[in-house]
Amino acid sequence: MPLSEKAIVCACEDVSVHDIDDAIEHGYPDIESLKRYTGLGTGPCQGKSCEVGAMRICAQRNAVPPPAQVPFRARPPLAPTSMAAYAGLPAGVTGARHPTAGLRPTWGRGAHPLQPPAPLPGSADIVIVGGGIMGLALAWNLAGRGAGRVLALERGYLCEGASGRNGGGVRAQWTTPTLIELAKESIAFMARFAQELGINVWLRRGGYLFLAHDDETLRRIEYGAELQKRHGLATRVITPGEAGEIVPQLDTSKFLAASWNPEDGVVFPWPFLWGYADGARRRGAQVETFTRVTGIEVSGGRVRGVQTDRGRVTADRVVIAAGAWSPTVARLAGVQLPNVPYRHEIVSSEPLKPFLGPLVSMLGTGLYFSQSMRGEIVGGMGDPDEEPGLNQTSSLRFLARYGRALSELVPQLGAVKLLRQWAGCYDVTPDHSPVLGETPGVAGLLQMSGFVGHGFMMAPAVARRMAEWMGGAKDEIFERYSVRRFAEGRLIKETFIIG
Amino acid sequence: MPRISLDGAPIEAQAQDTVAAALLRAGVTTFTRSIKYHRPRGPFCFAGSCGQCLMRIDGLPSLLACRVPVAEGMRCERQNGPLGVENDLFRAADFLFPEGLDHHHLLVRSRLLGRVALEIARRLAGLGELPDGVERPARGELRRVELAIVGAGAAGLAAARASGAGALLIEREGRAGGAQLLFGAPVDTEVGRAELLLDAECVGLYANDTDIPGNALLAVRHRDRLLAVVAEHVVVATGGVSQPLPFPGVDRPGVYAARGLLALGARVGLELAVVGEGEEAKRCAEALSRRGYEIAMISGVPRRALGNPVKAVDTAAGTRIRCDAVAIAQPPAPLHELASSAGAQAHFDGAGFPVQTDAEGRTSVPWLFAAGTVAGKPAVPSGEAAGSAACR
Repeated sequence: MPLSEKAIVCACEDVSVHDIDDAIEHGYPDIESLKRYTGLGTGPCQGKSCEVGAMRICAQRNAVPPPAQVPFRARPPLAPTSMAAYAGLPAGVTGARHPTAGLRPTWGRGAHPLQPPAPLPGSADIVIVGGGIMGLALAWNLAGRGAGRVLALERGYLCEGASGRNGGGVRAQWTTPTLIELAKESIAFMARFAQELGINVWLRRGGYLFLAHDDETLRRIEYGAELQKRHGLATRVITPGEAGEIVPQLDTSKFLAASWNPEDGVVFPWPFLWGYADGARRRGAQVETFTRVTGIEVSGGRVRGVQTDRGRVTADRVVIAAGAWSPTVARLAGVQLPNVPYRHEIVSSEPLKPFLGPLVSMLGTGLYFSQSMRGEIVGGMGDPDEEPGLNQTSSLRFLARYGRALSELVPQLGAVKLLRQWAGCYDVTPDHSPVLGETPGVAGLLQMSGFVGHGFMMAPAVARRMAEWMGGAKDEIFERYSVRRFAEGRLIKETFIIG
Repeated sequence: MPRISLDGAPIEAQAQDTVAAALLRAGVTTFTRSIKYHRPRGPFCFAGSCGQCLMRIDGLPSLLACRVPVAEGMRCERQNGPLGVENDLFRAADFLFPEGLDHHHLLVRSRLLGRVALEIARRLAGLGELPDGVERPARGELRRVELAIVGAGAAGLAAARASGAGALLIEREGRAGGAQLLFGAPVDTEVGRAELLLDAECVGLYANDTDIPGNALLAVRHRDRLLAVVAEHVVVATGGVSQPLPFPGVDRPGVYAARGLLALGARVGLELAVVGEGEEAKRCAEALSRRGYEIAMISGVPRRALGNPVKAVDTAAGTRIRCDAVAIAQPPAPLHELASSAGAQAHFDGAGFPVQTDAEGRTSVPWLFAAGTVAGKPAVPSGEAAGSAACR
């Protein structure tokens, strides 16, 4: 069997010149998209031997203009470093936190060099602000229902926000009936996403294992399992011994019981966005990247359109689906949302041969981890000292806390090396439930936000129902989850939040 | 002489060898199989900057064989060749998909075939098996310095001498001198009043969020533990990294970075085809010929490399050059990652992404300076300029 004639650019991930040309042809020539679409630069060398070669090809093909010929954002650790090394960092690193402004982003204000030169249409029937999973799934559903001219606007590349920064966990284990139903329908859709939208999302149903470390949490998982059973889920509460049979590497002395649903799973997040964007375009919707919304026009109690850094677009209906940026966008229309952004950090390890079936989460600390289809251990952990803010920078503190927590729970992972850390923002509401539907006082301004880090796993169902509701169908969730509930004191408390 | 083993077979090593050097001297060129197509792979950069020599060593997965010194009884095992790395049957993936495998659109029409593909992909994923043992947290340390200088090559050393007291000079290798050492060029390793920390690799540069005052927080791996270093200012003088060229066969065993072969304590055959033009290729060829190689120069991007390990190269002009190994001599690309991960701007210049600075090495981040190769052409801005500017 002779070796093929592939011209390999990225040896870590076996990416060839042909693959780069393919990504350029599919419309992903910017270096961040190119990295995600081909996988180049995501292996153990982290791009040190392929990024230059890839950019040389892009430059030769005139695929990106010179101002956009920049490296992709380098992610620490810049050389593979074991969890045990991070776990040994002293208390000064993980103790009292001194808030920082974060580091300066690569792009400042002003038009992005990759902004398309063509003008936007002067008007649309529906403008969607935000090209994350919510906005794109909504665009696809609306376009499929003949909802008129749909325009979705994303300020960066697809996957730049939380939809491209999450760990890919999808689960139906929730403690409110609505979220259980939304997740069930969404996961069922994910299982047929490739047939519907023509791109693989690699849903692997390895289950979700929630660990309860104290009696209060044990009561929470028992309540959850009971409720989920009534909604047709296979969830059951199991002993540490049974959990140890599912994940033999766990230190079972660290928890009292676990909630186990074998039908939850993990997906590969990025193709969802590409699939929905391509699908929406095929159905006639317009999806525009590198386009920033700078204003929302409101008069006479109605929304009239949006202003962007590519001109003005009039529209009767504007949907805010901007994730953690939703409150910022809503303020452009003079609307205050109660949502608050919080950074959540995440890290990926070296690729290991498959050994871990489920996503495992410790409910008390917010530690979670799973094994991706590429073999990496991808995980994160909440930080009670995190300050609110739109901060997408990484910290050493996170790696120290995560390394410590994970190597205590799974001691064998101590010697596993971390490869790449990043961060995204949760869009947190006071009751951890979403904000959906009309905005009081501004007719035509619709909300689709507040998903507290789990929007990704509910978007298919939320978007379907939102598109039908916008088409005139009755659906009580758009009343019940209205932003009005905060003023009226009708909170809908969801308690299974991790990370 | 230390004896190590490879997949259970004994290998004689020399005392100063890295694992990579010992294996190459013993005639082993396939170190691993690639992650997707199971192509044979061997070391390329010999500087810990590519991922081509990963190997399981003493029960730890995916270690860089070019960075691990040999020790008596060391157990080396090759990864990702379930039926043996030399004759891995999964290399059929490379043969069956000569144009590449588009995993995004593979078998999307059928739910059943999609599931089969998922199961197969899951089983083939990953490189190393879990570590054998448990590694306990290695007690780290937190300290504060006025100035941290990363890289003790010519620029970093000059920055250290130009800075006042309180500078910490962080060097990944076991000695200061950087790339100059490869060419046997004289280098002034005087560090002035700075403290030199060897065998220390800076793996992260963050905005400081600890209670200790200072702008930057560096994560420095010193042997098996981490030091967290708070610094008021940072000079990045990380130098460059060898680059391959995208032509068919460049990833095969037997194609090496020219600077990598200069760093390697063993010779890979006698006849060496050196791919490159200009000053860098000339300098590398001269130094390699002083190591006893017979050199054939190749200009332009070759059409292909042939053999496993590579024994011939087809040049752009259409001639076939036979050789024992190929050395790629491209100018090293700036190792910008540390600076750019902290927000410093870097732009493509045709050969790499130099960090953008002014004449005194100031980057777009107020407390961050860059000097030497990482900031563009060597010595522009100079280490002296950056070192003294960072202390003003």
